[in-house]
Amino acid sequence: MITAVRVPDSVAAAATYAAAGGRVMGGGTIVMAQVNSGSLAETELISLRKAGVSGIRVDGRVVRIGAATTFADIERSPELAFLHAAMRTIASPPIRNLATVGGNLFVPQPYGDFAVCLLALGATVEIAGPGGPRRAPVEDVLTAGVAQGEFVTAVALSLPAAGTWFHHKAMRRKLNSAAIVAVAAVVDTADGVVTSARIALGGVAPRPVRAVSAERLLTGRPLEHDVLNEAGRAARADIAPFDDAYASAWYRRRVLPVHLRRALLG
Amino acid sequence: MGSQIVSLVVNDQRREFIARPGTSLLSALRESLGLMAAKRGCGQGTCGTCTVLVDDRPVMSCLVAVETIEGASVRTLEGVARGGELDEVQSAFVDGFATQCGFCTAGMIMSAEALLERDPDPSREDVVEAISGNVCRCTGYASIVAAILDAARRRRDAASSGGDAPAVPAGSEAADGAGVR
Repeated sequence: MITAVRVPDSVAAAATYAAAGGRVMGGGTIVMAQVNSGSLAETELISLRKAGVSGIRVDGRVVRIGAATTFADIERSPELAFLHAAMRTIASPPIRNLATVGGNLFVPQPYGDFAVCLLALGATVEIAGPGGPRRAPVEDVLTAGVAQGEFVTAVALSLPAAGTWFHHKAMRRKLNSAAIVAVAAVVDTADGVVTSARIALGGVAPRPVRAVSAERLLTGRPLEHDVLNEAGRAARADIAPFDDAYASAWYRRRVLPVHLRRALLG
Repeated sequence: MGSQIVSLVVNDQRREFIARPGTSLLSALRESLGLMAAKRGCGQGTCGTCTVLVDDRPVMSCLVAVETIEGASVRTLEGVARGGELDEVQSAFVDGFATQCGFCTAGMIMSAEALLERDPDPSREDVVEAISGNVCRCTGYASIVAAILDAARRRRDAASSGGDAPAVPAGSEAADGAGVR
């Protein structure tokens, strides 16, 4: 049962409440569902909706997105046009009007599609807490979460160069489905040969994972059908797939190479 | 800290009510304000039958903690009809048999209203995306998509003829079809 809902008007006020042990939430798409089903462990909610951590700021090639920025805000941002197609694969408009960038980092797979994008982009996460503000690579937040009393205030990323961003999500239907396999990648090439690759996968492990085996295999080689099939098979070493209502673990492992290839070759 | 007084502008009227901590906007609408159009389906944001507009954007009202939107403008299906007359979307749903059991209808219409306010001339794909969060287990969606496209046409026609056209133009395709099923 919820005994209090806090709507702090600053990060400092939110930090005070968070230190006392409440559950910090963004849009509520995950937390309120737990409130409604009576499964939320915490008894206090702390909403970041009015804490001044919304908005998208572009400074050269660096984009800082406030934690309470919604997916709908990203869809309307011309600076983040490269992400628009990916956003439209996430849930439905009434969810995208609520769901936030910060909250998505804490969503178990096969949800949390935006976290997969942030992992591919090598984003930095800004965190507030009892020890003051700190920054951490998105990998760390995805694997270890944040400490008791801490919460995310923003993510920062570098805009990928033209033609280096790739995204593909295999779903049960064209819209509003969780991931069977989601692939997000930043791949640089020179003279047709891969010079660097950051590939993130969703739907194939409890949390978003880097396909480091595929990245290693692709580097120094051309983005071609057979090479990508080989990279996709290699990526099976990087995943820990699960059964759910969308697909079986067996199926996810089986189709991963196909979707990795489609992500990078279309 | 326990219950709070929350103030919202609901269908253009300022409404104040007392909310227990953790009350969803959906519960507040239904239990404190007596507005029963938005339905409680799944309580998980999956079915869309609780869709209402908050500051003109469609949201799943079951997922909104009502204290977090203090002062916001909320529109529900009860605020759609104008002066007792069904609006274009409602009329098109009636004429196009776009409702069967009716449980999804309130959410479908609010998603459609949000779409048409943003885009008066949507494509079929735009309509399908707009209602992608609204589950209907009766119609198979085809009649709903057709009704929303029909509503968009009616609204554009009304706008181009000065805004005084009747909601259901006499002799329209939908009105003619109504007699033959």
